Amino acid sequence: MAASPFASRSPSLTISSPNTLRLRASTAQNASQTSVARRPQNADQELTEQLNDEVRQKYVKDKRLGEGTYAVVYLGHLKNDPSSSVAIKKIKVNAEYKDGLAMDAIREVKYLQELSHPNIIALHDVFSSKDQNLSLVLEYLPRGDLEMLIKDVNIHYGVADVKAWMGMLARGVWFCHENFVLHRDIKPNNLLIGSDGEVKLADFGLARSFADPNYNMTHQVITRWYRPLELLYGARQYSGAVDVWSMGMVFAELLIRIPFVAGNTDLDQISKICEAFGTPTEENWPGVTQLPNYIPSDRNVPLQGREFFLRQFPIAGPVGAELLMSMCALDPRKRTTALQALRHSWWTTEPKPTKKEDLPRKAGGDKKMGDDLTRRGGELDDSTFKNAARQLDFGAK
Amino acid sequence: MSATSGVARRDEDEVCPVCKSSRYLNPNMRFLINPECYHKMCESCVDRIFSSGPSSCPVAGCRKTLRKNKFRQQTFEDIGVEREVDIRRRVMQVLNRREEEFDSKRAYDDFLEQREEIIANLVSGIDVVKTEAKLKRYATDNVQSIRTNQALEVEESQSFQARMTLEQEEARLRRQAAREEYENERREMQAGRNDFLLRLAAGSPADAAAIAREGHKVLLKKSSARRSEEDRIRQKQAALRGTDVKRTASLLNTADTAGTTDTGLVKGLRKIKAPEPEKPYDPFDGMVPEKHDYYTLQDYYPSAYLDKIRKDTRMQAGGYDLREYYSRSLMEAFAGLGVSIAEEVAQRDATSMLGRSKPASTESAAMAAVGNTVASENAT
Repeated sequence: MAASPFASRSPSLTISSPNTLRLRASTAQNASQTSVARRPQNADQELTEQLNDEVRQKYVKDKRLGEGTYAVVYLGHLKNDPSSSVAIKKIKVNAEYKDGLAMDAIREVKYLQELSHPNIIALHDVFSSKDQNLSLVLEYLPRGDLEMLIKDVNIHYGVADVKAWMGMLARGVWFCHENFVLHRDIKPNNLLIGSDGEVKLADFGLARSFADPNYNMTHQVITRWYRPLELLYGARQYSGAVDVWSMGMVFAELLIRIPFVAGNTDLDQISKICEAFGTPTEENWPGVTQLPNYIPSDRNVPLQGREFFLRQFPIAGPVGAELLMSMCALDPRKRTTALQALRHSWWTTEPKPTKKEDLPRKAGGDKKMGDDLTRRGGELDDSTFKNAARQLDFGAK
Repeated sequence: MSATSGVARRDEDEVCPVCKSSRYLNPNMRFLINPECYHKMCESCVDRIFSSGPSSCPVAGCRKTLRKNKFRQQTFEDIGVEREVDIRRRVMQVLNRREEEFDSKRAYDDFLEQREEIIANLVSGIDVVKTEAKLKRYATDNVQSIRTNQALEVEESQSFQARMTLEQEEARLRRQAAREEYENERREMQAGRNDFLLRLAAGSPADAAAIAREGHKVLLKKSSARRSEEDRIRQKQAALRGTDVKRTASLLNTADTAGTTDTGLVKGLRKIKAPEPEKPYDPFDGMVPEKHDYYTLQDYYPSAYLDKIRKDTRMQAGGYDLREYYSRSLMEAFAGLGVSIAEEVAQRDATSMLGRSKPASTESAAMAAVGNTVASENAT
């Protein structure tokens, strides 16, 4: 994929946030100074190694924010600007990938370095350390994630806040899709919150480019509760609609503060979706029976209409419920796209989205960022939502 | 102080320069001045000359018209000081800007200097007409802010007064409490000793040592109990004092919002920012969706190669859309057309002068690290 360099502010153009610019500006200056000084000394080093050293020496690690199976995250700063903050994500050398790097890391670097948008986490630099570990210098987002806010019963938020968060999420997703990148792991704990309250799409460990008909894509992506039916049915060719379904699930979760369809297994997930939204048939989803892992359902629930969404999510209001319904269409071709979602009238109806500086906030976000960035893509944080599924009874009418 | 100067001053002080009557004849004589000309005269002269309305100053050569209601007793012995203090008070009442109204310390200092200059001019009579006109114009232009600042000053001095009286009252109470405490202690000690003596008198000589020890212990216990009680009261009082001070402080802060505008006379005032009208919510946050500079997208492009996919219901059912493929292919084909290298080089040179350029390192380091594994990634 390539970002088109149109001069106007079109979505295909990658835009540097002011913060990125500042970081890059100061780092560039530093790099040029040191390179002049150092190059003659180790002329036997390869050029790539020299460049890598320059990048590595620009940053100082301060403290560890979190450690997971996949990576360690540190809080750091620029050597020549102690007031700056960055998160340094050091990918662990994994036993599975002895001969190279973890796929997640490659994907993350490959797509994040191309995408620059206020609602997508910024990748400032990449360098490798002596033991061949890859370190990603990422934007530091100190205010935790959406999951933290959803789960904290002491935090109260309203539909205006949900609208602001969803707007930021939809913009980020739209920008990815406009540049033909699928995120494939949208969920509340991958939506980090910056110091200014901006929601940012993070963890591109499962991202890939799409729309090429010649490549099959894997269906084993997206955390189960946020996975659409076409992926559960094993489709190998899909589109941005999978991210839109996840967005819809996040929307629903923000409204009711509990995962809306939380299956314990993939099969359970399928039956829960069918019961909640309706059973897919050849009539409402042409070709669904031909999907590789299609399982005919024993119960036939008719497709849910508008009144179902209005009843389930009363606080969204009629217009919000309609947007949610369009995001949760079973047939991916009937599902709204990120672009259409942003053109929906919900954004302009009352109440107005909360200004980002007024959004609810919670302390302890830096640790949460450490935890979020060290998790492997697609993993469920089982301990936290363990019994969530039992509290929802979709059979009840 | 020499005897002669003392006598001279007393003479001057004792004889009215207008009617020449002296304190010898009129022991209750009081001298008054008028801030128009500061000529001194006795109370009876003022009554005599100005009771029937404004009149000119009786001092030879001074033709100022004076009014009776402006006459007052002088505060300072030196008439020059008296006059300067009056002028200063008048100027300060008009030019009463506060430090928090200025952009910087520098601007405030400049303002203070300017005020001193105006005062000095008026005192020593340089450019009086011009300075007065300036002052007058400023006063009429800034009636509102002058009034707010005056009110603030009054409020400040009142709260200061209140705090002072409060503190004095507290000190008085503390002193009283200490005195009472001492009295109580003394009385109890006396009572204890009496009791102890009585018991000694009543008991047998063998018990004397035991009684003495016990009596001493009781006294100690009582005094320590009293001390802890007093500590508690004192802490409570201290806490109360703390909240009082805080309350007055917050009162001062809230009053501290005076609207200011830049005027011709005073420079460097902080600008009042008019709140920007709120823009309607833009879901795209300033970006323009579906903007293609060099091509238009069609829904269908004939291609035998793609016909197979067009007919593949399984692909369609998964949500695959060929239009996305068209869009991506076109975007990638035309992406380079927007690049004008000459322009970008010029831009880069201009920005690198300011120390801003994009480091080449991001991509190269990343590719150095991941280069050989990227190829295998597309397979998934």
